[in-house]
Amino acid sequence: MERSEEYIKNERKQEWRVELQKMTKAKDRMSIERVQMTEMAPEERIKSQRVEVNVGLTKEEAILEAKRCMDCVNPTCMEGCPVSINIPKFIKYIERGDILEAASVLKETSALPAVCGRVCPQEVQCEQKCFYVEKLNLPSVAIGHLERFAADFERESGVISVPKLAEPNGVKVAVIGSGPSGLSFAGDMAKLGYDVTVFEALHEIGGVLKYGIPEFRLPNAVVDVEIESLRKMGVEFITNYIVGQTASLDDLKKEGYKAFYVGSGAGLPRFMNIPGENSNGIMSSNEYLTRVNLMGADSEESDTPILRGKNVVVVGGGNTAMDSVRTAKRLGAERAIIVYRRSEEEMPARVEEVHHAKQEGIEFLTLTNPIEYIADENSRVKQIKVQKMELGEPDASGRRRPIPMEGSEYMIEATVVVVAVGVSPNPLIPNSVEGLEVSKWGTIEVVKDKMQSSIPEVFAGGDIVRGGATVILAMGDGRKAAANMDIYLKEKYLSKKVEL
Amino acid sequence: MKEFNSIEDILDFAINEEQMAADFYTELAGKMKNQEMKDTFEQYALEELGHRAKLEAVKNGKKYQVSETKITDMKIGDYLVDVDVDKTNITYQEALILAMKKEKIAFRLYNDLASASLDEPSKKLFLMLAMEEAKHKLRFEVEYDSNILTEN
Repeated sequence: MERSEEYIKNERKQEWRVELQKMTKAKDRMSIERVQMTEMAPEERIKSQRVEVNVGLTKEEAILEAKRCMDCVNPTCMEGCPVSINIPKFIKYIERGDILEAASVLKETSALPAVCGRVCPQEVQCEQKCFYVEKLNLPSVAIGHLERFAADFERESGVISVPKLAEPNGVKVAVIGSGPSGLSFAGDMAKLGYDVTVFEALHEIGGVLKYGIPEFRLPNAVVDVEIESLRKMGVEFITNYIVGQTASLDDLKKEGYKAFYVGSGAGLPRFMNIPGENSNGIMSSNEYLTRVNLMGADSEESDTPILRGKNVVVVGGGNTAMDSVRTAKRLGAERAIIVYRRSEEEMPARVEEVHHAKQEGIEFLTLTNPIEYIADENSRVKQIKVQKMELGEPDASGRRRPIPMEGSEYMIEATVVVVAVGVSPNPLIPNSVEGLEVSKWGTIEVVKDKMQSSIPEVFAGGDIVRGGATVILAMGDGRKAAANMDIYLKEKYLSKKVEL
Repeated sequence: MKEFNSIEDILDFAINEEQMAADFYTELAGKMKNQEMKDTFEQYALEELGHRAKLEAVKNGKKYQVSETKITDMKIGDYLVDVDVDKTNITYQEALILAMKKEKIAFRLYNDLASASLDEPSKKLFLMLAMEEAKHKLRFEVEYDSNILTEN
């Protein structure tokens, strides 16, 4: 999809856009206050894992918010979007009341607009680059809320558009992993006319969107609709298929696949390696969230119910930690506590997630680190020895490193502990494909921005390359990989030279 | 405690310690199944040989100073369980734990020797050696902090 400056300028000069620009004066646009997202009341939403926190905007709210957008000559917001959504264009369609067109603009470059509208950290991406923030020091246009509104509107209308597809070219490509990166890649390749098959190891499609993000932040039904859109574009999905085990890349080559995109993610839990960590009742956030999100282990009727407890302690300060601790609260924990080694300022979780967690009664023990788990006579965790930390002077990188305060150790009660300190890449593909260059961290090495690995027909992106990043960065990788794989395949199989 | 009769004695001891550390990592590299971990331990061995070369330069007359700057001790390794070095599939996280702990032991050794030294030149030399080990440890701690404890 072309995204040159000239293209953006020409789009902006279209008659309908010019009309809208003239219709409302700049100062009137600037006088509108940013819309506030309606939220479910905390005391209500903590009763269920499947009640979404953010309710969404009404059409009236969305149109008013869209009016705030200045339709800038130089839309800096787009620079902040890893998948280059034409932000002013979709917002102006909303202002005009043409919401389905707005949704269709989103789909030009994003395979998952309803997902991104919910989980993207817009506050540090497109919204941070908004004219309001950069020039006026005012709250940005609520780009994320508007994105979600347009995508939801389309879904609820039942009139779901399918992006324009190129003529099928008959070249088969395989995607390994159906997370955001793989889905984004699959969408772009389908648009380019390729025959795309996505192989998923689990029984559900969606990767981390399904197993990692709880339904109170991202309902599975929303993900399913986006997947359905890809199906309509001709993408085939095969579940319960572990590439590297069920079949190797070589086996798939024999079946006619000409190139591969590895988006197998970072699903390997990471633990702290402190004494007592093997006690019963201590688990990784991967296990905790997957069992609840994907296997319904929060249900009383589940054959393998998740362990519940009075005091649930979650170690870490990222979005995964917030998802875990808020899940624990919904599962009835009296005390659901975050234990984090640095201060709140350094927390990698989105500000919104921390805010929601606090609303829900989550306790925060910052500048605190577990150093030992104490188990009872049945090897069940009962207490955690924690230590207070202080932040040292900034080092050469400018980062203040946490340092333990000697003698500050004390005990906290814990019936369940969830460790959410970080994740590692899934090792199966890196370990099973000969000739694939892998870093010491277990990530696949690729040529930057091309996403091509040391094996020319193997491309990779998302967490298997980055080791742990956001949904939208993973999607951006998928798009880059698709553009570059297209060049590679065209040269190899579709150029005139080959045809002759 | 080991006795040292001269500055040269101390340096020979320290040079031997660095060589033993290099040998330890080289042996680990040989055991690893995974090429990236082989490379990692070979790199650690090279770093230890680099430290050895620095000490040899001091032995050959190169001047040294004990830095006044306090080197941060993040103490990450202090609370972690030991890594099983008989494994052939050590992860990079474990490699860093191993390295942090080894450097801490070396730091403590030189620090103790400095405290026990009766003469000023020996004390100064042991302190310099302790500081070097503290710097090496900090380098591993920072890497661990930045790359392993990404969400903590």
